[in-house]
Amino acid sequence: MRNGGDNRGRLLLISLIVTSLFLITLDLRGVQVLDGIRSGSQTVISPFQSAGAKIFRPVGNFFSDVTQLGRTRGEIEKLKAENEKLRQNLINRKNADSELAELKSVLDLAGTARYKVVNAKVISLGSTSSFTQTITIDAGTDEGVRENMTVITGLGLVGVVKISYSNSALVQLASDPAFRVGARVAGTQQIGIVSGQGTSKGVLQLLDNKTTLKVGDVILARGSQDNRPFVPGVPIGEVTSVDNAAGAVTQTADVKLFANFSTLSVVAVVVGSPKSDPRDALVPKAPIPEPIPTVTVYATPSGSPKP
Amino acid sequence: MFARRFFISFPIFALVYLIQESVVNQFRIFGGGFSLFLIFTLLWSALGTPELGALTGFGAGLLMDLSQTTSGPMGQWTLIMILAGFAISYLGYGDDNFRGNPISLVVIVAIAVPITRLAYLIIGLMFGSELGSTVQILISLLASGLWTVAIVPLLMPFVTRIHSALFTEKSRG
Repeated sequence: MRNGGDNRGRLLLISLIVTSLFLITLDLRGVQVLDGIRSGSQTVISPFQSAGAKIFRPVGNFFSDVTQLGRTRGEIEKLKAENEKLRQNLINRKNADSELAELKSVLDLAGTARYKVVNAKVISLGSTSSFTQTITIDAGTDEGVRENMTVITGLGLVGVVKISYSNSALVQLASDPAFRVGARVAGTQQIGIVSGQGTSKGVLQLLDNKTTLKVGDVILARGSQDNRPFVPGVPIGEVTSVDNAAGAVTQTADVKLFANFSTLSVVAVVVGSPKSDPRDALVPKAPIPEPIPTVTVYATPSGSPKP
Repeated sequence: MFARRFFISFPIFALVYLIQESVVNQFRIFGGGFSLFLIFTLLWSALGTPELGALTGFGAGLLMDLSQTTSGPMGQWTLIMILAGFAISYLGYGDDNFRGNPISLVVIVAIAVPITRLAYLIIGLMFGSELGSTVQILISLLASGLWTVAIVPLLMPFVTRIHSALFTEKSRG
């Protein structure tokens, strides 16, 4: 290019840049063709993603365990004691069991609130190259999943369906920086907005400056008009710290989101909800402390020896 | 001839893209993991002429824009990748000492990956995307650089061989 081809190279570069700017303009103006192309490409890729999830998810779970060594130390010690074949079986079995447990807990939650749900498996975790937090699930419009439907696990809110294809759907996670959900504090019913931060924590901003938050308060989804994008009453998270800055217009707090986004494998999309608000029925129950066995010894003094 | 060779490379990129979407995206690893496709594209661009780098960036950017996990408008990745592909190939163009040294390629791609992602983030901000946690972004950018250092030496033998098989005459000319 430097040897006489400068002009041609510059022209090519400018042409490509103009083409990309043209594409951006078309997309920002909402031209349907581009959406169709994206949708078509996803339809082609989703079978490969499903196959990839089946084959590589156990390996992915293994890596996830490795990154959480502190929490799974006991499990790893147990695995070390077994031979290679049993270890592989265990990983596969563990995967199925965890999916079953997740499915059971999500059905428990949906049953309590009388949500009508469609269960789905996570077939791909979104690339973080674009600084977004998304997952792809294996249920789409064919199963009744539409855009702006709430997605939950047994622990609580996972996110919202952003795009629905024929046999898959893209879910924006609650941890995504662009995620916003109207929330209320269980018990006091004070309302606010929880926003994602790209981590497992969100930030709650109350709309009323007279409210007092405290650590441990449970935050629930407030619900949207016609229950889309959010059905009411879904647990979102728990307040871990409160910002009591003097002079602040409204109170803010850090919220630990209930859903564990790094181990999602089975979720449920709420496709229908009852007319009545479940209120605080879905607030997770506090753990019941196990009684510590105590032994009482009664010492009876024997008669004093006679001199 | 040049165009024909360029289009022959398309199935290779399609395959890497498919691996990225269906395999690499299954893993949630430290710092948000890595983008095999981005690393592959930048490495491929670094081995070619600036013209080829820009064209490669254009094609790869289009594929990245097609990914459903892309939050920005269609064309955003295309724009960034054209500039990234052009820049990385321009840096080492005509300098055989640079291109012949694997360490130089590892370093340049490891620097280019976070810069490309940062450029995407900045342009995304201009289009109204949300920023999120700054610490998380810094960790993600740093981790992507580190992952690139680990991945590029594994990819390099394949990429250089395929690239030279397709474009050797062009490079010599």
